[in-house]
Amino acid sequence: MRTLHTIAAALVTVLFCRPVLAETLDGPAMLKILQEIDDRQRNGGDYKALVYLEQKEKDKTDTVHEALVYRRDADNKLMILFTKPKTEQGSGYLRIDNNLWFYDPSVGRWERRTERERIAGTDSRRADFDESRLAEEYTPSFKGEDKLGRFDTWVLELKVKDGVDVAFPVLKLWVDKATHNVLKRQEFALSGKLMRTAYYPKWKKVYSESKQGEVWYPEEMRFFDEIEKANSTLVLIKSVDLRPLEANMFTKAWLESKSR
Amino acid sequence: MVTKLRVLLQIAWRNLFASWLNVIIGLVILGGTFLVVVGGSALDSLDRSMSRSIIGSVSGDLQVYAASSKDKLSLFGQMGGGDADLTPIPSFARVKEVLMKVPNVRAVVPMGAANAIITSGNTVDVMLARLRDAQKRMQAGDASAKAEVDSLKAHVHHIVQVLKEDRKNADKLVDESAKDPRAEEAIERVSKDEFWAEFDQDPFGSLEYLENRIAPLLSDGQMAFLRYFGTDLDAFAQAFDRLQIVDGQMVPQGHRGMLLPKFFYEESFKLKHARRLDLIKEEIEENHATIAKNADLQRMVRENMTQPREILFQLDPLKTKEAAARLQKSLKTNETDLEKLLVQLFDTNDQNFQEHYRIFYSDLAPLLELYRLRIGDSIPIRTYSRSGYAHSANVKVWGTFNFKGLEKSPLAGVAAPMDLITFRELYGYMSPERRTELERIKQAAGAQDISREDAEAALFGGSGEDAAGTEGATTAIDEAALFDSGGAARAEETTFTQADIDNGIFINAAVMLKDPGALSQTIQDIQAASDANGLGLKVATWQEAAGIIGQFVQYLRYALYVIAIIIFLVAMLILSNAVLMATLQRVREIGTMRAIGAQRGFVRMMIAIETLALGTAFGGTGLALGAGLVALVGHSGIPAVSRQLYFFFGGPRWFPEVSVTNMVIAYGIVLVVSILSTLYPAMIATRVSPVVAMASDE
Repeated sequence: MRTLHTIAAALVTVLFCRPVLAETLDGPAMLKILQEIDDRQRNGGDYKALVYLEQKEKDKTDTVHEALVYRRDADNKLMILFTKPKTEQGSGYLRIDNNLWFYDPSVGRWERRTERERIAGTDSRRADFDESRLAEEYTPSFKGEDKLGRFDTWVLELKVKDGVDVAFPVLKLWVDKATHNVLKRQEFALSGKLMRTAYYPKWKKVYSESKQGEVWYPEEMRFFDEIEKANSTLVLIKSVDLRPLEANMFTKAWLESKSR
Repeated sequence: MVTKLRVLLQIAWRNLFASWLNVIIGLVILGGTFLVVVGGSALDSLDRSMSRSIIGSVSGDLQVYAASSKDKLSLFGQMGGGDADLTPIPSFARVKEVLMKVPNVRAVVPMGAANAIITSGNTVDVMLARLRDAQKRMQAGDASAKAEVDSLKAHVHHIVQVLKEDRKNADKLVDESAKDPRAEEAIERVSKDEFWAEFDQDPFGSLEYLENRIAPLLSDGQMAFLRYFGTDLDAFAQAFDRLQIVDGQMVPQGHRGMLLPKFFYEESFKLKHARRLDLIKEEIEENHATIAKNADLQRMVRENMTQPREILFQLDPLKTKEAAARLQKSLKTNETDLEKLLVQLFDTNDQNFQEHYRIFYSDLAPLLELYRLRIGDSIPIRTYSRSGYAHSANVKVWGTFNFKGLEKSPLAGVAAPMDLITFRELYGYMSPERRTELERIKQAAGAQDISREDAEAALFGGSGEDAAGTEGATTAIDEAALFDSGGAARAEETTFTQADIDNGIFINAAVMLKDPGALSQTIQDIQAASDANGLGLKVATWQEAAGIIGQFVQYLRYALYVIAIIIFLVAMLILSNAVLMATLQRVREIGTMRAIGAQRGFVRMMIAIETLALGTAFGGTGLALGAGLVALVGHSGIPAVSRQLYFFFGGPRWFPEVSVTNMVIAYGIVLVVSILSTLYPAMIATRVSPVVAMASDE
């Protein structure tokens, strides 16, 4: 009789508690979400976007830039070419394999830069404009759930895989349970120090001929510097063009030609 | 009165060494006086020698800058490493015109300082950048570039061979899994003759392959922090006449460019092996150090022996052969492998150092590029201005310089003088047109400001449609419409006139005086002239302008004062107690004196004069000893044993001088302390009743 009571109590506990514990994600489920996030943003073909960058710093006038971002996801290539203001026109970044180059037309030279490069002196990094590679570069672990405004989110912690060079080795992602969109992201140094907090409040989807499906992109990105607390960056993706780009675009010669 | 004084002096003299207590008190006074004289004289001399260094190398007698500036002027940079936030002054011509009318002003030199980081890629990056330039020139029809292209191609090919050999040796130490197959594949491809035979078919494609696949395999890229200041270079050279050109030449009038401090040039751009050999030689010859006993020198020898790669990469196949042959002969060995020969050359000790140093410079150095940056080359300088934007310029290095007497000081030449026109471009003055352009871009974007604190509520508290994802449409982006000009122009070849220098912004200006002795009056005159003409200037002495370095002596002086005050306070307490004890010991004597008619005033006077005599005797001895020591040291001088001391000493030796002011101050303090310390004992002594005193045993 006593054993029966114990079994019944255990059954009741399991049944009632289950909904509370149900939201825990295991490894394969998290990996699937990361792959989904990456895949949504991948075009497969070429990608061109017009972006606006605005940087706020303490005791300084806001700096603003407009740039064209070119991506060829199949070849892992990226180029950022600044168009405004006039003094910045023609300067740009070119990523080929693991090399990030910066070109400055006023000195006519190429310089090698690292993953930690602050794009145009803002709080944004190369990866913010590039194809999302979360599943490829990081290993996730589940940290719990959180409420973000009116959104219910999962919180995942991502640690960089061995041998991968990224700007931030540890990330925390707030992923919307309903849509699987990343809404918030915290980025940490290896020491565990919080370096930057990012918000993605607007997601947009456009149809891609080359992918034969939708390509998602964050229309607005806000980065808050956690070291220099007064610094923040706003990135707006103003328009996206998914038509094929010129074949020889991702070369130093092409970027140089834009400032001649 | 005179008789009374004579009696009091006799008593004081008799009691001077009567008690061991007096000797101890005297020694404390002696020590304090000695410290004030020696310390005060040393600090005065240091102040003078440092002022020579700072005035003669960077500040001039006075500095002027905008009174509306947020920070104070700090010529050597601020504590945190950044620069002071100073308001630019629109026209130098107007300021110069007004200040030159101040009677004691000899010259006004415009200035403005900033910091930049100079990065250079690794050896292959540098080589490939040159190859890219030469290839472009060749394609543009410059026939002479062909030889350079061929030589650079052969050189890069040779480096890849060395790299391949290195990795083959490393393979013995690492397992297969640690290898990067992409790197192995790239080295294999580029080390073959076919790659180079096909190079000309697609030179820029081949270059990109080398830049992206081969160059990242090396990690010897370098970075240097450069502090520079824009100025009217001719006016600067005239006003700061200790400046001397060491290599190259002065920037020609009206031309853009800069001079690098010799010390900075050697430290930042010289081949590391050569620099280490120079430093070892200097330590041995100037400080009589030995490799056997000096751990620092041993470290440098070790580093030279274990890092021969930098030299091997510099040599093409022909030079490699030549270098091996020369070293074989000079080192008298049959070894043919250059790497082993280099290790043998750099394996130095106290016996062979001078000979190996000579071999390096006579046999090897002519085959090497001793400096990563050659005089006549341009440095790309990129700096973030106060406007938040980065500005860059190629700045030609015309030569190196130092200041006479301060040749070895890293501080006297901490900044590189640059022409004012290039400085202004790098400074990025926010003109009204630029401000309007930025405002237009910002308005077109229509961005909404959101603070960090409200971000989550503002971004995710609404309907949530945007965050969930909305349908959009692709738009054709018209690139041609976005590029409305030909990009930034490169201006390094353009020249300028004196009017261009004078009619533009500057940040601060050095003012040289005809009579530096009339400093205070001139400060007032300049301030008055500035106020009368609405220039809005603030005047700073060289000490104020030099920031923490200028005030270094002042801080030392405060420390000395604190120590001296503590010593004299202790002395005063001991003295007061001791005089009190001595007085109590003499109750009977004082009582007797009082009984035979001595008044209270006489007793008070007796104690005061006794203490003054003590102070005079020991204080005087302290003065004499202190002055003697300063004079002795001042005669032979103290050598500057470290490079930093050159600046503080104003040259290779420091000659302190006796300061009469300090002697007077020290003696004055002794007298005051003596008088103060007798007040309480004298009061006790005057209360002694003759009857009681004579009735007591003591």
